[in-house]
Amino acid sequence: MVPITLTVNGVKHALEVEPRWLLADVLRDELHLTGTHLGCEQGVCGACTVLLDGRPARSCLTLAVTASGCEITTVEGLAKDGVLHPVQEAFWQEHALQCGFCTPGFLMTAAHFLENNPNPTRSAIREALSGNLCRCTGYQHIVNAVERAATIIREGDSHAISQD
Amino acid sequence: MAIQERSWIGRPVPRTEDRALVQGLGQYVSDINFEGQWVMALVRSPHAHARIARINTEAAKKLPGVHAVITSQEWENLRRPLPGMAPIAPPALAHDRVYYVGEPVAAILADNRYVAEDAAELVEVHYEPLPALSNAEEAAQDQEILHPSLGTNVVDRVQYESGAGRGALAAADHVVTATLRLGRVSAQPMEPRGIAAHYDPQNQTLLVYHATQSVHRAQERIAEYLGMEKSQVRVIAPEVGGGFGVKNGTYPEEALVTYCAVHFQRPIKWAGDRFEEFLSTYQEREQIHHVELGINRDGTLVALVDTYYQDNGAYPGGGMIVSRTTARNLPGPYRIPHLAINGAAVLTNKVPQAPYRGAGRPQGHYIIERMLDRAAEELGMDRIEIRRKNLVRPDELPYRTGIPDAMYDSGDFPQAFQDLLEAIDLSAFRKRQAAARQDGIRLGLGVANYVEVSAGFGFEGVRLRLLEDGQVLLSTGATGQGQGHRTALAQIAADTLQLPLDRITVVEGDTDQIQKGIGTFGSRTMIMAGNAARVAGEGFIAKAKDWAARALEAHVDDIIFQDGRFSVQGVPSVSLDWAELARKIAPSGEMLIHEDYFGSGTPTYGFGSHGMIVRVDERTADIRIERYVIVHDGGTIVNPLLANGQVIGGTVQGLGSALYEEMIYSEDGQPLTTSFLDYRLPGAVESPDIEIHHRDYPAPSNPAGYKGVGEAGIIPSQAIVLSAVEDAFQDRGLKLDFAPVTPGRLFQALEEKGGFQ
Ligand code: FES
Ligand code: FES
Repeated sequence: MVPITLTVNGVKHALEVEPRWLLADVLRDELHLTGTHLGCEQGVCGACTVLLDGRPARSCLTLAVTASGCEITTVEGLAKDGVLHPVQEAFWQEHALQCGFCTPGFLMTAAHFLENNPNPTRSAIREALSGNLCRCTGYQHIVNAVERAATIIREGDSHAISQD
Repeated sequence: MAIQERSWIGRPVPRTEDRALVQGLGQYVSDINFEGQWVMALVRSPHAHARIARINTEAAKKLPGVHAVITSQEWENLRRPLPGMAPIAPPALAHDRVYYVGEPVAAILADNRYVAEDAAELVEVHYEPLPALSNAEEAAQDQEILHPSLGTNVVDRVQYESGAGRGALAAADHVVTATLRLGRVSAQPMEPRGIAAHYDPQNQTLLVYHATQSVHRAQERIAEYLGMEKSQVRVIAPEVGGGFGVKNGTYPEEALVTYCAVHFQRPIKWAGDRFEEFLSTYQEREQIHHVELGINRDGTLVALVDTYYQDNGAYPGGGMIVSRTTARNLPGPYRIPHLAINGAAVLTNKVPQAPYRGAGRPQGHYIIERMLDRAAEELGMDRIEIRRKNLVRPDELPYRTGIPDAMYDSGDFPQAFQDLLEAIDLSAFRKRQAAARQDGIRLGLGVANYVEVSAGFGFEGVRLRLLEDGQVLLSTGATGQGQGHRTALAQIAADTLQLPLDRITVVEGDTDQIQKGIGTFGSRTMIMAGNAARVAGEGFIAKAKDWAARALEAHVDDIIFQDGRFSVQGVPSVSLDWAELARKIAPSGEMLIHEDYFGSGTPTYGFGSHGMIVRVDERTADIRIERYVIVHDGGTIVNPLLANGQVIGGTVQGLGSALYEEMIYSEDGQPLTTSFLDYRLPGAVESPDIEIHHRDYPAPSNPAGYKGVGEAGIIPSQAIVLSAVEDAFQDRGLKLDFAPVTPGRLFQALEEKGGFQ
């Protein structure tokens, strides 16, 4: 066992892990943050995407030990004080999810993408999402949602989103 | 409490399930952990066909953290065949022989998956390899019989004949023949299969969390296998991460996890991974058809004669449904007076087949649509024209296809096709196609028509309960996997009960919440559970009137229910809404509950037309989709947002099986595509924006007029893609006879036509 520290969604954790444990498993099994999903453990599907020091990373291809000292954001950290992040709100409104298994990965990818691309075209959105697989939606509503989230963010009215 | 201004049915309401899901708060089987649970990993056969000489588990047993290593050599009970599969079923663990790569041979129970997988590697299995059957048509010759107790490899035959059958070919002006094939595909829901079970020795009850499409059928199988009463087994499907048909049947892991949970009196969990999803989850589509189509000079269809073989894999799985449904779909929406269909489901040494979204519908349509393209070419007729000529007309409805019990009952097929062609603007496209060809760009148009036959058997139920705060709890056995039933069924109940949507909570997939259920597959849930929600709502109101009569001190016949309130006829000023009624009932300690069922033996017939334009790079054989248009009938639509989601999602899945996805096996039965790197799903870049035009003809066979929509999108996909690609090379006489048409396959086909020119 090796001691590590992870700051996850703003909370610092000191943990003991085996060197071979995946970051995804540590998030899910040790910290009980099960929103990060494992769809392939082969680095292809993107369901396990988290932000590692602000950048999207595959938590199924990242060993927890190598993430020690890093800041991690998971899907559970997207909403702030009960207010959904614009991508979450837009995915909901646009019916961009069906089974929801791929959704956390898409949300993390999209949230990061929109930070640097406030006004993307549909084809740029599709390109940005090309590392995430969804078997249910056929992507169209996901692209709609990312467009809508971009609008929400541009108009800066993310705080006007309802908190029921 | 606001009264809704208009009907909830028909409104594109965003889903009630999503607030939790977008925050990562959905609980899937892999997220469920019992105190003290052991995790299961499996040793799977690396051979397609072999005798098991011996198994040595000593080293694995000694590994710290390992609690048990289970084989059916030691555990004779696990040699018994799984329930729910006939005429032959696999054991939970292979005993003396393995029949496909991926078949479970030993199970490890350990503290966690890491240790369990370490132990799996330490299990030594000595195999004596046997020759494998990997070609269905050859296997059907019965030179080598896989399961001697069956006496043949042909596990099921389907035969239909109408009119003069094959004899009618002689009277046709032309007979077009072709051999057409479909590759093997895999559903690959994003959540792999999984199951967790917890046994309570005190009460002798078993609680099972199961990524299944049908909790009640799972409950039956588990009870049967363990020799328990159904009432001792509670099955809950938590969030299920996609199913598409393959989380519906009996699997060894279900038996193993539940058996071990009872035996060891320990919670046991198996969460399959992607590799296992490729090696062990049922697959589909693989068939070879030898087709003869009789047709007259003017393009009128005379007869369809089709002999086909389905590579069913090592066990029946649920493959017989697929081969039978294939036969029923062969006529498509076309008028074919004479049919002779002869299909065989054949056992080989591959993963068994079971229904995957479409389940024979895509196969049947692929055949007739491909044959229409071939016939058009033979007659020198336009591909559009030949379809127009043979589509069943509205004045012919109800129309019997010649397949027993298949009678198209609603809609206007030619009009939908016409609307599609107008949306595409056919003449403008042909001009653009010709101009593009001058510039070396190859565009192609594909069109296909389809009928989506849904449900037509069984029942589904809905149970309504008034909670103390006036909320209504709706439970159903129809177990969803992302379709949005919790929203759609609430919409239906909201209309009947005249309640706002947020006053209704839907629970799907818990055997404790409703007595009976069949499940969600074959696009049946809105038809069955949707109608049940309405029937149950009416019965619920009737019972509520009894309570209202007591509370309002009136005769029940004088109670009226209007705008969500109960009042006495002629005294509208005194009334009770559901919440007030709930408060009146509470002191009695009784509950207002009503459970009702809806059943129907008549299928529904949605239909539609798809059109697509592809752009093909002649050098690389890369195929891009430029445009995709759908005219779609799904009957009465409960929620257009969800219906569109189903149609688009199904279409893109279909594009996968038409363009990219193929489970490739070597001749000795080794699967060569066992990761998302080798087996490519469509991604966001390849997938088109799809244009949908709705034509909603209510189904005449159920009160609400619902039809299936879940499989609409996937049905024509393989037919239409091959048609479009051929059209792009019409001048070169390209003929495609294998789906999917991957770039590699297209490249080869073009090479045979002289390659890049
Ligand atoms: S689980 Fe990490 S990419 Fe699929
Ligand atoms: S919503 Fe099911 S995989 Fe994307």
